[in-house]
Amino acid sequence: MTSIDNQRDHKSMGGICSRKRDQQVFEGRVRRGVSGNYSKSSSSKWLGTTFARPNADLQPGCSFPSLLELCIYRIREDISRYKSFSMLPRDISQQIFNELVISHCLTAASLEAFRDCALQDVLLGEYPGVMDSWMDVISSQGSSLLSVDLSDSDVTDAGLGLLKDCSNLQAIALNYCNNISDHGLKHLSGLTNVTSLSLKKSCSVTAEGMRAFSTLLNLENLDMERCSGIHGGLVHLKGLKKLESLNIRCCKHITDMDMKAISGLTNLKELQISNSNVTDVGVSYLRGLQKLIMLNLEGCNITTACLEYISALATLAYLNLNRCHLSDDGCDKFSGLKNLKVLSLAFNDVTDACLVHLKGLKNLESLNLDSCRIGDEGIANLAGLPLKSLELSDTSVGSSGLRHLSGITLLENLNLSFTLVTDSGLRKLSGLTSLRSLNLDARQITDAGLTALTSLTGLTRLDLFGARITDSGTNCLKHFKNLKSLEICGGGLTDAGVKNIKDLVHLTVLNLSQNTNLTDKTLELISGLTELVSLNVSNSLITNEGLRYLKPLKNLRALSLESCKVTASEIKKLQSTELPNLASFRPE
Amino acid sequence: MRKEDTVKLISAEGFEFVIHKEAAMVSQTIRNMLTSPGSFAETEHGEVTFPEISTTILEKICQYFYWSLQYANGKETEFPIEPELTLELMMAANYLHT
Repeated sequence: MTSIDNQRDHKSMGGICSRKRDQQVFEGRVRRGVSGNYSKSSSSKWLGTTFARPNADLQPGCSFPSLLELCIYRIREDISRYKSFSMLPRDISQQIFNELVISHCLTAASLEAFRDCALQDVLLGEYPGVMDSWMDVISSQGSSLLSVDLSDSDVTDAGLGLLKDCSNLQAIALNYCNNISDHGLKHLSGLTNVTSLSLKKSCSVTAEGMRAFSTLLNLENLDMERCSGIHGGLVHLKGLKKLESLNIRCCKHITDMDMKAISGLTNLKELQISNSNVTDVGVSYLRGLQKLIMLNLEGCNITTACLEYISALATLAYLNLNRCHLSDDGCDKFSGLKNLKVLSLAFNDVTDACLVHLKGLKNLESLNLDSCRIGDEGIANLAGLPLKSLELSDTSVGSSGLRHLSGITLLENLNLSFTLVTDSGLRKLSGLTSLRSLNLDARQITDAGLTALTSLTGLTRLDLFGARITDSGTNCLKHFKNLKSLEICGGGLTDAGVKNIKDLVHLTVLNLSQNTNLTDKTLELISGLTELVSLNVSNSLITNEGLRYLKPLKNLRALSLESCKVTASEIKKLQSTELPNLASFRPE
Repeated sequence: MRKEDTVKLISAEGFEFVIHKEAAMVSQTIRNMLTSPGSFAETEHGEVTFPEISTTILEKICQYFYWSLQYANGKETEFPIEPELTLELMMAANYLHT
């Protein structure tokens, strides 16, 4: 239903601020390691990862907190005692700093203790209260400072100016900083060691501000997603021969001329220009980018004519053409995209006639045809492809089309939601034992369909959201012991059916909402599913009385019991006494 | 305690703590010293000197060793740390990989 591009569109906190980036191109998005510089050093395995720190990560084979951790927690408890940490080795003060950030205990006052601590990472993205007055201490880290994230802060141009002397900075993130303008960016022009710069949604930045980037000759990653005023400014990137990744998604006024400006950046591996005004002419300027691996053109005003230029990109593996209004006209050009591994064509007007030309894409591992005008006949052309992921949601594919999929034994991820597939067709999937994720969210799927799938024991994710599954159908679930995520919301379940769910001990996500007959007994039955992170039993007969069964679910972070006989105050009570990780709940 | 089951930890001031090897090996650094054959004199004598760790801190560290063993066995008590010791203790803990 949603395009993959949007699903992956999460704010990655400080994501760009890591020197040891594990870069991965993935479904039209670039994922980067979220860790700071220290997270991989031996003395701090436990820091900088997540809010919940599983003990298992502390030291291999240890099930107790380290003395270092205990000291850091102790310091956090009465942080106001400490006037300075500058006498500590910098990796220790870095750990204290990180802990204060993670626990949201860092304030303008406690920050003062970190003056001249030679910190390497100051990752304060989305941290509350960060403003210019913090910048003095941050800049006192001087040449030690390697990465800084001030995203979503109130820092202004003047504050940014203080970073001028942090000459070794390699990564800077200033996403969503509304107070930073062209004037502030001038201060960055001398930071020639910067390799990563992220300025998402900086609305006051214009082409003029980008002039400052022309001296950043080591720049490898530049992210200016949603900067609506930068059109015309890409000429200042001309000399940045090391640039590998450029993200200007949703920069609405970017045009073909901007593509001309970057046509000589031959080191580019990833280019995202989705939702801009780029046309076929603009794409023609990209022909020389022979190292390009990923190209995202979602929502651009292009036609199949540009596929000719794209075919010339010998190393291109990831191509996103979602929402481009592409039709069958000229679709024979798809056959030229022989090296593609991932192709997204969702929300286009292409039909079965287009799929004929995908037959020869022998490297294709992932294909997204969400909401395209395709049916059973077209699917026949996919039978010989090495697909691992296939998205057919909201298409006219039906049961007879599935027989063409039965031979694609590499398939791990299949989405058949809102298709015409019926119970009888599901038998053809029974041999796809590599399947890990299966979406059968469609009203016509019933218990009978499920019985045909019991051989798919490797499933970790099963979505039966709207399927009409009843208690008898749940007997099949015992074959899916590896399930981590399960949704059954068709209304047909009672407590008796939940008995078959209680042994799926690896479940982290369980959605049983809309089954209006479920009672407190359901919560009692699932109280042993201690790995649950998210639970939804909204629209049921559950009462406050049943909440006590949730006490063992210590990993629970999201709980939805909307339209039940449950009050917010009782959930809050449970949260404060038993479920410390519960971050969001309904009713609230 | 049998002598071969113990280890002697000596502080900067020369104060000696005789503790179980099992407890001392909670420290990765000490474990390495005691288990890498031949490379450390400590292996033979069962003695480790810490010229940079004061007696107060070393005592606290020994307490921590025993506390962590109990903790691992399910006795999850709180380990008290006096605020005035935290910084020095941290540096030692860092050195000892503890």
